[in-house]
Amino acid sequence: MRKLSADVVVIGGGSTGAGVVRDLAMRGYRAILLDRADLAQGTSGRFHGLLHSGGRYVVADPGSGAECASENAIVTRIQAHAVERTGGLFIVGPEDDPGFGDKFLAGAAEAKMPVEEITPGQALALEPRIHPGLKRAFRVQDGTIDGWQIVWSAVASARQYGAQILPYTKVTAIERDGQSVKGVLAQDLKTGEELAIECGFLLNCAGPWAGQVAALAGCHPVEVVPGRGVMVAMSHRLVNMVVNRCAKPADGDIIVPDHTVCIIGTTDIKVDDPDHLEIPRREVQQLLDAGESLVPGFRQARAVHAWAGARPLIKDDRVASSDTRHMSRGMSIMDHQDRDGLSGMLTIGGGKFTTYRLMAEHIVDAMEDKLGSHHPCRTAQEACPGQEDAHNYQITHRLAERETDRLSDQTICECELLGRRQFVDLLTEFPHATLDDLRRQSRLGMGPCQGGFCSARAAGLAFAEGKIDIERATGLLRLFLANRWIGLWPILHGDQVRQTVLDDWILQGILDVDHLPAQTQEVV
Amino acid sequence: MTDTIVIGAGLSGLVSAIRLAQAGQSVTLLSKGLGGLQLSQGTVDVLGYASERVDRPFKTLAALIKTDPHHPYAAIGADQVKAGLSWLTQALPGLLTGDPERNLCFPTAVGALRPTCLYQPSMAGGAASGGRTWAIVGPRQLKDFYPELCAANIGRTPAPGGGAITARPYRIDLPARPGEADCSALTYARSLDQADFRAQFAQAVAAVVGDEEAIGLPAMLGLNGGDGLEAWRDLERRLGRPVFEIALAPPSVPGMRLNQALIALAKAAGVRLVLGSNVIGVISQGWQLQGVVLRQAGHDQRYDADHFIHAPGGFESGALHLDSYGQLSETVFGLPLRGGEADDLITGDYWQDQLLFKVGVGVDSAMRVLDEAGQVVYHNLHAAGGVLAGATRWSEKSGEGIALGSAMAATDAILKGQ
Ligand SMILES: Cc1cc2nc3c(=O)[nH]c(=O)nc-3n(C[C@H](O)[C@H](O)[C@H](O)COP(=O)(O)OP(=O)(O)OC[C@H]3O[C@@H](n4cnc5c(N)ncnc54)[C@H](O)[C@@H]3O)c2cc1C
Ligand SMILES: Cc1cc2nc3c(=O)[nH]c(=O)nc-3n(C[C@H](O)[C@H](O)[C@H](O)COP(=O)(O)OP(=O)(O)OC[C@H]3O[C@@H](n4cnc5c(N)ncnc54)[C@H](O)[C@@H]3O)c2cc1C
Repeated sequence: MRKLSADVVVIGGGSTGAGVVRDLAMRGYRAILLDRADLAQGTSGRFHGLLHSGGRYVVADPGSGAECASENAIVTRIQAHAVERTGGLFIVGPEDDPGFGDKFLAGAAEAKMPVEEITPGQALALEPRIHPGLKRAFRVQDGTIDGWQIVWSAVASARQYGAQILPYTKVTAIERDGQSVKGVLAQDLKTGEELAIECGFLLNCAGPWAGQVAALAGCHPVEVVPGRGVMVAMSHRLVNMVVNRCAKPADGDIIVPDHTVCIIGTTDIKVDDPDHLEIPRREVQQLLDAGESLVPGFRQARAVHAWAGARPLIKDDRVASSDTRHMSRGMSIMDHQDRDGLSGMLTIGGGKFTTYRLMAEHIVDAMEDKLGSHHPCRTAQEACPGQEDAHNYQITHRLAERETDRLSDQTICECELLGRRQFVDLLTEFPHATLDDLRRQSRLGMGPCQGGFCSARAAGLAFAEGKIDIERATGLLRLFLANRWIGLWPILHGDQVRQTVLDDWILQGILDVDHLPAQTQEVV
Repeated sequence: MTDTIVIGAGLSGLVSAIRLAQAGQSVTLLSKGLGGLQLSQGTVDVLGYASERVDRPFKTLAALIKTDPHHPYAAIGADQVKAGLSWLTQALPGLLTGDPERNLCFPTAVGALRPTCLYQPSMAGGAASGGRTWAIVGPRQLKDFYPELCAANIGRTPAPGGGAITARPYRIDLPARPGEADCSALTYARSLDQADFRAQFAQAVAAVVGDEEAIGLPAMLGLNGGDGLEAWRDLERRLGRPVFEIALAPPSVPGMRLNQALIALAKAAGVRLVLGSNVIGVISQGWQLQGVVLRQAGHDQRYDADHFIHAPGGFESGALHLDSYGQLSETVFGLPLRGGEADDLITGDYWQDQLLFKVGVGVDSAMRVLDEAGQVVYHNLHAAGGVLAGATRWSEKSGEGIALGSAMAATDAILKGQ
């Protein structure tokens, strides 16, 4: 058993945990972050990709709108490379109440959120595919974020301040010394090694799994109500700005352009188990209909992938627990000393990706209140690593790279224009990675072919250049294909069926991957 | 007005058109694009896997027909498949070899040992059997082939009949065109068709390999010569030992060899080829199909015929379609489909065959399309190849057998005036 010690252990490497560990490290705490999976593989890798302007909240909750507006500006500055400044439109459709637009403007003013009303003609000039019958349009500062890039650059900053980041390390027990937390036991899932970490404070940032983690500490049950949301990515950008419906928030009323795709979302259904999130066909149909009403012809576009995330809401007695959309979107901090007589542990629920930095600031402030110490938070002032040139993300960046190295390097994923050198560098940096881990880093297999051409190349390179054995290389290929299928089969229709059959012809028909020797051990 | 219109330029369409034209019919072949042959591995599969790997394809096929009456082979019958294989072997002399009664296994780019029954001479040296020693060689500039992965998987796969193969990986550093890091198999094939490059290539290979008894190279060894195998023969001569091709992801050079040979035969037999336009409508009277309307640049053109062979492929070519509401259709004639009734057409298990991919048209033994009640839809419309219901061709390795058998059955019916 490996022994470690820290001032603070953070459980959960989603946006919340990543923000918290950075803030802790910058305030001088020795911090360790643990996640049972890859970083941002929970809700933070299953969200919509929207860096909110605040527009979605200004009518119902202007305070939340104001937070989004100011955090949007901060994140766009401190993690420039992970943010695309697409801008956004709120459109009042032919069926919607134009009066809502007035409430929207009033809410925006109260939240001090920048907004400009433009004419329907101007909106159509910006986004020619939106519904031509729109009645009003408002321009806002929505952006899009790559959740993985945000989380990695936050933890990279934390590392620079001395934090330790341990992905694929699952917390299995929380140790107490009578009435206070004394440490955690964990297991490295890649190597099987056991870890014992001594700590003075524990921050439970396990999102929808926060209840499970609190139970490890023997606390009274913390009821988390996972609100499952489904999202569907279409094979190209039907819009280049975020397009929101300007009406009372409902299912499937936002289209987010993100990297090479655009994403329609999302639904909201109460579920029990955040580990098994279905993507029901009925919800996919609902999203396609919603897409059709924002962008006529949406159904004819090609759906490439779907996923589902669970809103990590801690149950709040003020509303019925089956309607998760109307629970407060704000975050809640649960103090286990008041609640369970256990000191040295806070549990965090709720929140948004957009406001992750501010949430982290509040959480660390709350911890410092308990500890009776105070250090200033500097996360809003200092930029994170990865954005040294201070340029925001641009969709054309890969094209520019390939234009320069077109003759000297191979393009191993044509859909996402991923170069071989880039991929091999990642293999070197992450020797224990699965192809899915590398996909989250590089978008390998995320485009229209969904791995049909690039997956065998990736496995070949991982074996040829990496330090893994043939059983693992072959296992990685199989796992990648099976995992891609998770998000493909629920939406399979139209031209994506055609692509899937071509992929099957290549991988099964020609290469016969399904008859490679079976692995003797599960690949992780 | 022609005797027969064939729709589709894949294996079944080309074979049907050539056979009818060679029998004296006037034939027009209409196709939206180039057929699937150029994407395929360039072998002729009859049946590679049932529940297990198949050694004797026709023996297993006979059993399959009994247990699965909806399999295309049940309507086609083993005799037509055999007739198709022998027709093709004779039509393309020297390009296909092997024993239709016995499957052999050949390595693929990822090192799986894949069963088939007819193969190109340039693949023959790769027939897997225990005790062999192979050098597996690939150029760094070809991103679809990693000799290390291929060799390591070959080495840990039991060879058919027992024993193991010793496969050693080697890399060469030779772009197909100077200064290019990213060369496709087709670029290599074109370069290997040049004697100068071939000499350089042989030298590079000879410099790295050991004393292995045969050399496996990615399937890219040229397209020139009567049979497209000139470069391969020359490489074998230069390297002084058997050289064999290993199947790759598309573009497929061996597939192109078959395709170019069949197109040449079709032209020689007087088939009128109309490529690059879509059939958008049909003209019929009762159970008789009279013509089809083709969308062509500038205007729509009507083509009439006495007989029609519909060989447009399956979902991969767009001939079958599943729309966003879950509606299935055959996109050219709107033909009735079989196999779409199940509610679990697609499931979450990637490794399981999906029922969706078995959807297609049902036919009688003359390959005439049947409706839900089992009645012939048009007396003079026959279907062949990938549009037929009942098989997941890529997983059972039966694509060419079904295409050839159905082409024989359909053309027989027309020639015998059924
Ligand atoms: C459908 C949907 C769409 C959304 N869209 C947006 C949007 O567009 N914009 C926006 O700003 N917000 C959006 N949100 C909200 C946002 O995604 C979440 O608020 C945010 O990602 C939550 O992050 P988190 O770190 O709290 O939780 P998570 O990301 O879920 O992190 C929790 C982590 O804890 C880990 N963990 C669990 N158990 C253990 C254990 N025993 N040991 C170690 N680790 C453990 C998990 O692996 C996981 O990585 C959306 C949410 C949903 C559900
Ligand atoms: C903003 C954004 C944009 C995206 N754009 C694209 C795109 O352009 N193209 C594209 O193909 N995809 C896109 N995706 C989807 C992405 O590829 C994944 O499907 C999604 O992020 C799910 O995460 P994953 O990487 O864990 O993958 P998955 O393939 O879903 O799962 C991999 C692993 O996670 C485990 N797992 C499954 N369900 C859960 C769960 N509920 N909680 C925890 N672990 C689970 C599985 O067992 C498996 O081991 C996008 C996602 C986001 C958030």
